[in-house]
Amino acid sequence: MAPEKSPNRTGRGRLAIAALVVVALVGVGAFAIGRLSAPVVSAPSTLSVEAGFARDMQVHHDQAVELSFIIRDLTDADDVRTLAYDIARTQSQQSGQMYGWLTEWNLPQAEAEPSMTWMTRPPLTGTSAHDHDPTSSAHTPGEPMPGLATAEQIAELKTLTGVAAEKDFLTLMIAHHKGGVEMAEALLERSTDRVETDFARGIVKAQTSEIDLMENMLAERN
Amino acid sequence: MPVPPEQTTKQQREARRAEKVALLKKKQARDKRNLILGLVGGGAVVLAVIGLVIAVIAVNAVPKVDPQSIEVEGLQTFDNLPANHVDTAVDYAAEYDMTPPAGGNHAPVWLNCGIYTEAVPNENAVHDLEHGAVWVTYDPAVVTGDALTSLQDKMKSTYMVLSPFEGLPSPVVASAWGNQVQLDGADDPELTQFVNKFWKASTAPEPGAPCTGGIDGPGKIS
Repeated sequence: MAPEKSPNRTGRGRLAIAALVVVALVGVGAFAIGRLSAPVVSAPSTLSVEAGFARDMQVHHDQAVELSFIIRDLTDADDVRTLAYDIARTQSQQSGQMYGWLTEWNLPQAEAEPSMTWMTRPPLTGTSAHDHDPTSSAHTPGEPMPGLATAEQIAELKTLTGVAAEKDFLTLMIAHHKGGVEMAEALLERSTDRVETDFARGIVKAQTSEIDLMENMLAERN
Repeated sequence: MPVPPEQTTKQQREARRAEKVALLKKKQARDKRNLILGLVGGGAVVLAVIGLVIAVIAVNAVPKVDPQSIEVEGLQTFDNLPANHVDTAVDYAAEYDMTPPAGGNHAPVWLNCGIYTEAVPNENAVHDLEHGAVWVTYDPAVVTGDALTSLQDKMKSTYMVLSPFEGLPSPVVASAWGNQVQLDGADDPELTQFVNKFWKASTAPEPGAPCTGGIDGPGKIS
């Protein structure tokens, strides 16, 4: 009987359309949830302070390693040679950590903007305020990193030997460490990344105590 | 209980018709409602799909920063290069069909990275490529004056070597371990792409190994 079949057919049709709509909505919804929730867990971007720190601090650390090997060839003084060995091993390992983060974040090792640009970005609100004059940490993008020895200073160190070389090394490395602490503090004021802030706190602590040690070693030689 | 008076045949017919009309109106109202629901629901699904497509396109339109995704136009690659230390001269053009060298056997000591105004020994420079450096060579007959200055300005402070090279196939050639690109000059956009992809990249056997503390070549200006 035709009049009875017709409502049945439209009923099934409606059910099929409703099922399709539900499937489409669930599919789209699931896709949207996956897609939109992805950035929340994503790694730091190439212009982030985390990436900027990881790139610049590698350069900074690598020079500390270079200076440490230079002084080990220029002096027989055990205390300076031990300190230099400590710095070289520590900072090589830390440089490798920073290299690994960038690799893990799928970012180029090459900086995306001039060095130190990340330090010119405003600090996060609510981070521990430091006592130093805010203008003293104002940097210009592209300028040398704080505490980095110039090529001329490294060339001059290589011409020295013995106590003269030790004093020159200690002077350069005290400035180098102070610059490293400044960079680590700049990161702490601008990042909440757990791994990187733990790392930076370690640098502030260890290098601050090494600055005291080196100032004492320098005083003994004056 | 009062018994309702018997309906006449006419009355019965009218009542049935009224019943049918009511049913028809109900059905029409239901169909209209279903149509509106279908249109609104379908429209929402279509809008959601369009929105997601736009969102995905927008996300993917961001320039690629993952070194593995960066594409360098005109890139030449050299696979399965040996990396032995040799004390003899290496003919990179004859042995590996590459001018300038982009990897292969090399000298035990590496060249200190920096900017050179004279040709550097290939065997030492190739050792830098093994350590993740990018070696930019230029044709000294073509790249002079301002063109050379702007090329020098493009160099990074570390893990880069710049030197003149006679007989290049293009004004400038950038090389990393196993990879090379021919360039028009300092402003060739592929230079930046190449550096972002290969500078200190894990495509080199020992990225981050030193490019200081080796030997200087002639004409090192920084």
